[in-house]
Amino acid sequence: MATTEPRTAATQKRYRTLAVVKQEAITRVEKQLEDSVFVWPHLLVREFMAALLMTVVLTVVSLVVDAPLRGHSNPNLTPNPAKAPWYFLGLQEQLHYFAPTIAGVLLPGFTLVGLAILPYVDRNPSRAFEDRKISITVFTAIALYFAVTVLAGSFFRGSGWQWIWPWQHIYFDL
Amino acid sequence: MGTTNRGLLDKATAKMTESQAWRSIFRHGYPDTPLNQSLVMMGNVFLHLHPVKVSRKAMKITYTWCLGGLSFFLFLVLTITGVFLMFYFVPEQRVAYANIQQITSAVAFGNLVRNMHRWAAHLMVVTVTLHMIRVFYHGAYKPPREFNWVVGVVLFFTTLLLSFTGYLLPWDQIGYWAITVGSQMASYTPLLGTQAHSILTGSPVGVGQSTLIRFYTLHVIGLPLVGAIFMAVHFWRIRKDGGEAGPPPPSRRELEQARARQETSVASLN
Repeated sequence: MATTEPRTAATQKRYRTLAVVKQEAITRVEKQLEDSVFVWPHLLVREFMAALLMTVVLTVVSLVVDAPLRGHSNPNLTPNPAKAPWYFLGLQEQLHYFAPTIAGVLLPGFTLVGLAILPYVDRNPSRAFEDRKISITVFTAIALYFAVTVLAGSFFRGSGWQWIWPWQHIYFDL
Repeated sequence: MGTTNRGLLDKATAKMTESQAWRSIFRHGYPDTPLNQSLVMMGNVFLHLHPVKVSRKAMKITYTWCLGGLSFFLFLVLTITGVFLMFYFVPEQRVAYANIQQITSAVAFGNLVRNMHRWAAHLMVVTVTLHMIRVFYHGAYKPPREFNWVVGVVLFFTTLLLSFTGYLLPWDQIGYWAITVGSQMASYTPLLGTQAHSILTGSPVGVGQSTLIRFYTLHVIGLPLVGAIFMAVHFWRIRKDGGEAGPPPPSRRELEQARARQETSVASLN
């Protein structure tokens, strides 16, 4: 009989989720009020102006400077030097110093993996510059190394990957 | 006279914003009261990834330089200009180059749109890189934002691949040889070099038709999808991890000095 059933769905206690307030949530009641402003209009107007400025700059540059287009591709006519896109020229420059496996695969691979695991390796909780001398030094050195090699590969390398000064000739396409 | 006109305009505006059609689109009045300024952020799908309020310090232009936002904006510009270019471009090695020539000379606004696409792409690589550098120096990758940094690294790599795949499409000497040189690096992968190279180019011999169609497909749909998904996570996590990090708090030394100062002032009171 139905009456012997101890608990039906109707008699069971049911809950509705109204809100979940986490300990550190922005909705935390006792959290100190910080100096904040409404996103509409204060942040949105800045975003809009940034987008507008970018559109104007991009349009003007595109009206003045044409995107490069060389002759039809020809597998039998290797340009000298043949250069990778500019952001990979640091790697191409390193091919000049290290074995191809190291310069072309391991170095960029480890850099990318190193970047990805950075927050789990750098366990120093402080965000202040003064407390982060080691991590800032290491990161700056690596960033400078990549910047210098990209610049060298872009503007200081000519035929046969020989060193050439930018005022002699620039082999560089965007 | 002026006041009557103003009154009329106000009345017309009020009539419009209180109409059923207007209210069916926007469920609240114009956002010029704190309540409506909150409702607009929560009720609009395009705005709801923003918080209702934002810390004044974190919002400063000189803190973020708008680099993340500009990267996203450039992605949108690239999507729009890219769709336009897709109307005219066929990824077939006998016609691809001629298509580009046609875009630059015969299509209305074709040259401008291609230029915008090219320069926005290079610029996006720059803004994404600078955004990453900025986040590092502010220590904004630290807990609780560590996973969002990882998502950002994926987005950085996706940006590079998007640029790299697009570089080949004009099928001119620049793109052809840049991709030849670039994809040769993959063949130096230990143990799997040949496989890595032929997966990338789609052929064991070198860059050809199979590479063109592979790069085209990745460029117009594969990588943009990956980017869009990770961007959604990236933006969502900014909110969920407590919003923008804001300028770094005082260092340990400064905190200690402040505590010492407080202790001495308490001691002098006793």
